[in-house]
Amino acid sequence: MTTVVTQDRDRNAAEYLRLLVTLREELDKAMGAIASNALEQFEDSIASQQLLSARLVVLADELSVPLAAGNTAPPVPIDDHLMHQIFIAGDSLQKLNRAYAALLHHSSRSTALMVSFFASARGQIQEASGPRLKYQTWSCQM
Amino acid sequence: MGGLNTSLLIGVQALDANQGALEATSNNIANVNTPGYTREVAQFTENGENQTGDQVTGGGVALSGLQSIRDELLNIQIQHQTSQQNSANTQSSSLQQVQTLFTTNGDDIASGLTALSSSLAQLSASPSSTAAQQGVLSSGKNLAAAFNTTAQGLATAQSDADQQVPQTITQINLLTQQIAKLNTQLGQVPAANDGGTTQDQLDQLVQQLSGLTGISITQNNDGETITTASGTPLVMGGQSFDLQAATGTNGFKQVLDSNGNNITSSIQGGTLGGAIETRDQVIPGFQSQLNTLASQFATAFNSAQAQGYDSNGKTGGNFFSVPSNPNGAAAGITVALTSASQVAISSDGSAGSNGNVANLSAALTNTLPSGQSPSDAYANLVFQVGNAASNASTQSTAIGQNLTQLTNQQGAVSAVDINEETTNLMRFQAAFEAASRIVSTVQVLDNATLNMGSSSSF
Repeated sequence: MTTVVTQDRDRNAAEYLRLLVTLREELDKAMGAIASNALEQFEDSIASQQLLSARLVVLADELSVPLAAGNTAPPVPIDDHLMHQIFIAGDSLQKLNRAYAALLHHSSRSTALMVSFFASARGQIQEASGPRLKYQTWSCQM
Repeated sequence: MGGLNTSLLIGVQALDANQGALEATSNNIANVNTPGYTREVAQFTENGENQTGDQVTGGGVALSGLQSIRDELLNIQIQHQTSQQNSANTQSSSLQQVQTLFTTNGDDIASGLTALSSSLAQLSASPSSTAAQQGVLSSGKNLAAAFNTTAQGLATAQSDADQQVPQTITQINLLTQQIAKLNTQLGQVPAANDGGTTQDQLDQLVQQLSGLTGISITQNNDGETITTASGTPLVMGGQSFDLQAATGTNGFKQVLDSNGNNITSSIQGGTLGGAIETRDQVIPGFQSQLNTLASQFATAFNSAQAQGYDSNGKTGGNFFSVPSNPNGAAAGITVALTSASQVAISSDGSAGSNGNVANLSAALTNTLPSGQSPSDAYANLVFQVGNAASNASTQSTAIGQNLTQLTNQQGAVSAVDINEETTNLMRFQAAFEAASRIVSTVQVLDNATLNMGSSSSF
């Protein structure tokens, strides 16, 4: 019985590791898509990230609670080597996630500004004269 | 830029709220404006009249192109981001230099603390051994030297950042003088007459200037008015205002405006802002912690020494000497003992006693007034240095990618479909929001992974 439980936990842990690595690749892909303004690739990547992160959360819950309710047996340890790989992959993902968060912060700000501008452009351009005409716009006067 | 963004958002909300009224009046406003616009600004076409019964109303104008205006907005964004990136790059470069001071190499503070602890353990086992006594003295000297070296390294990094201030000011002044000249030229020769060459040169110089310091630009009929982010004028039409560098009371270069006012603390962004922030805020923060650690550790170790007796039967004197000025504790800490026989080994003055070695050892592990043991306080400092370096590097990378995005937008085809652009941007916004939620989920996963490990053999 213990062997079966151990195998299940190791299998789930291996799946968890695989998903961590895949999610890291997706974050990488999304950052590239943002930089190149590839909207559809970015949206596709977001969809993949949502699936991966949802599955990871479920697996993490399962692996963090190894015992059935009422079972007083000691926790079944995950294979040491596998756990070590998970820590490395998790650390790598967190580092990339911080960079991803920073990029999202800066890009969101730029995009919000552009959306505001486009949404407000209707009939809001004012006339000026002289060689500086190019700059006499509503946006620059703001 | 925050103000601009906020203002734009408020503008949009107001527009939405008054959409009906705007539609009724926009014909008049837009038609007044239409004739004055050149193709490079915006392409307006007047729509045909509408007739409802006997009533004829204007059809308004259609804005079919918006490229130039869009460029200006992108320029502002690119200038802002360039400024931020150069600031992050400057900090990242300095912090990488600082980080090397805190790596484990045998001569660092952590190694010094460990070696002193080991030498005390040997002394406890052989309290009468001259070699063991000498070992404690040598370890103490090595630890003091490690404090001195680290403090010196921080001072060097601070000095390097300081040297960037006058160099950058010189570059800023050169650029603002050139921009003022081009402003004058543009006032005399309409942009259309030279194919926009002068304007392009001006844009390029302003872009370079934004990399050196955060700037704010406004337009008027005399050309561009450029100020620092806090409002100090740099260029007004054909006149430039030189910044100056002067040595302050703290020995570092201060930034003065053209009237001699000290504006150092208000400089933000760009190489100049990054250098000043590193010199005046980031590195002093590390220095303060290092000095506190040196001072509190020396005091604790000296107290332990005073509880015992040396090999000559005398009450233990100060093991370490630290300057009275706490700001120089790490740079000035030295070993006060002149002989290994002065190490207070005995607790009662009897020969062969090792009773006080435990007190000396405890000074290495007991909590200091700062709330941490010496090793933990040092580890915390190392973490903070690493974290600051990592953050600066991450910021730089992220801003670089955002700059690529903006540059790509800038290079897009000139005929912009405003509806399509708006739709795409809104899709981007929605995707960014979804991505932000994933970022939070991934952060939570970190704890989950740790819990997973703690429930197993890890």
